Amino acid sequence: MINAPMKNTLPSCLLVRLFFQPTKIFTELAELTPPSSLVFFKAALWLGLLPPIFAYFGTNKFGWRLGTVEPIFLREEILLSISVVYFCVLLIGFLSSALVSRWMSKTYGARESFGAHFAMVTIVGAPLAVGSIIHLYPDVFINILVFVPVVLWSMYLLYRGLPIILCTTPERGMLMASSLIGYLLVAFVSLLGITVMLWINGLGPSMGV
Amino acid sequence: MVDPAKNLSVEIYSDRMVTVLVMFSIFWSVVGMLAGVYAAAQLIWPVLNFDLPWLSFGRLRTFHTNVVIFGFGVSALMGTAYYSVQRTCHVRLFSPNLAWFTCWAWQIAILIGGLSLLAGYNTSKEYAELEWPLDIAITLVWVCFGIVFFGTIAKRKIKQIYISNWFYGALIIVIAMLHIVNNLEVPVTLTKSYSLYAGAQDAIVQWWYGHNAVGFLLTGGFLGMMYYFLPKQAERPIWSYKLSIVAFWAFTYSYIWAGPHHLHFNAIPDWVQNLGMLMSIILLAPSWASMINGIMTVSTAWEKLRTDPALKFIVLALAFYGLATFEGPMLAIKSVNIISHFTEWTVGHVHSGALGWNALITFGTFYFLVPRLVGAKLYSVRLANIHFWLALAGTILYIVALWGAGVSQGVLWLSLDELGELRYSFTEVMAAMNPYYLLRFIAGLIFLIGALLMYYNFFKTIIGRRTIAVRPPVIAEAVA
Repeated sequence: MINAPMKNTLPSCLLVRLFFQPTKIFTELAELTPPSSLVFFKAALWLGLLPPIFAYFGTNKFGWRLGTVEPIFLREEILLSISVVYFCVLLIGFLSSALVSRWMSKTYGARESFGAHFAMVTIVGAPLAVGSIIHLYPDVFINILVFVPVVLWSMYLLYRGLPIILCTTPERGMLMASSLIGYLLVAFVSLLGITVMLWINGLGPSMGV
Repeated sequence: MVDPAKNLSVEIYSDRMVTVLVMFSIFWSVVGMLAGVYAAAQLIWPVLNFDLPWLSFGRLRTFHTNVVIFGFGVSALMGTAYYSVQRTCHVRLFSPNLAWFTCWAWQIAILIGGLSLLAGYNTSKEYAELEWPLDIAITLVWVCFGIVFFGTIAKRKIKQIYISNWFYGALIIVIAMLHIVNNLEVPVTLTKSYSLYAGAQDAIVQWWYGHNAVGFLLTGGFLGMMYYFLPKQAERPIWSYKLSIVAFWAFTYSYIWAGPHHLHFNAIPDWVQNLGMLMSIILLAPSWASMINGIMTVSTAWEKLRTDPALKFIVLALAFYGLATFEGPMLAIKSVNIISHFTEWTVGHVHSGALGWNALITFGTFYFLVPRLVGAKLYSVRLANIHFWLALAGTILYIVALWGAGVSQGVLWLSLDELGELRYSFTEVMAAMNPYYLLRFIAGLIFLIGALLMYYNFFKTIIGRRTIAVRPPVIAEAVA
């Protein structure tokens, strides 16, 4: 049997169809080797822009609502700086997760195309980016309530999609996805740590530290 | 045919007390988690204490921590240490009668200790709350545990001492040292004593104890469990034996210094705080070395996932171990700690370790161990799979809820208004925590239901069966 050469492209209407036909997108991607620049400019960049934009407008209008009567409002320039840092951190998150995923590929028998790993990570991040629309009303508890099912959806895409997109067995895919979850948990907790360090260095609300 | 269990001339492993310890461990897990869930409910509905001192939050919370750590955790460690030390040394336990004594005496100590905490007898030292008569009783049982364990190592038929035994051995020696030093106290009555140390020195000794109890019991002890049971389940040798030895000594050396990070910005010398912070950050390396060793071992045994429900628990436990051992050093950094300390973030961190690492690795080990102990198949693989998803959901929900609560609390405690005054009152901040407390209660309940399913699964597996007799293998001269 002769294998057809893999195409350097992405499935058409990736971000729209992902929400309705995820399995089809996975199988289409399994036969493609998209260049990482295409994944970046066609999907990751725009998805990465959504959370900081929503957070910027939401905080400007309603302030951070942490369960108390009085919300916390931030000065315009601080809010803008936080939004820019948020955007940069998200892009670093996408790229580093894709790099970690490719680094693991030999151990778990997955293919090594960086574009495929980047596309897989972008797909997993897509529900989180779209779900960030709730940042328009930055009440932390309501945001958590929305993000818990969204995170579960992302995890479903990771466990289901990884073995198909990266062409490995379901069992090895399960192990690789669990390792990636470990990395993502660490990345998220790092984000929390970096955030509070920035706060006490002046990039955040006025605090008595 | 002669039953080897009844034939005294044939050496068999002493496994019956292992079965008893495993069953007690599961029993205490349910009791301890139930107390935790009830205490969590009281934070939302304080009326649930019914104005009874025995049910007050302060007593119930201490009861919860002691029962899960010492009842659930130590019973599991004792049982798995007895099981694995025999198999890695190819000999029966040294003095099975003494092992039986440790098994039952430990359960009695937990029972009396738990009741004494509910009755309000408390030294006020965290994780060392039990009063002096119980401290002495625990020391005696612990020394006997050490005699059985090291006695078995001493009469081993295998020259090499396997890595799991190093971790279990460190658990026994270091916990004995910590327990004795931290509990040096002057008794006043049978139920009241005062610490031998005063002020800041007392705080330093307490957190030297507290953090190393986490280190050598909840981390080191359970790593011992991981190093024996993971390769067994995966049917592969550990990925890098050399790395496990390096990790053990680096872990032992660096952990012992990290305690002062519990006392940042307190009345202890600044250099002690900074040293504690530095050693906590260094600790990440040996902690992750063991995680990588575990993950790489299991990565070659992927086909086992098709049939073995237990392996999933261990894979997930390693992911949460990675998270908890990263988050710990991060929270020890002073500029993070200033926000996170005295918030629910710390409680969430403890539970990412306790639920995600300790409980899941123990559940995974028990799913492997219990059917083998009685020579039967697990009653229901489906129930075990349901338990896995409940445990995962409960842990994630718990951590996420307390991340939200903790970070919010950190901001609210320290927020200033335009005049530079604290913006929010204590009651206002606590009232803001209510929705998170509800999520935490639900998360705990989900986790508890999973543990109950496991209990039922094991009950049906064991009922009507006895622990089977296993003989040490015959080994070649070259190995011995």
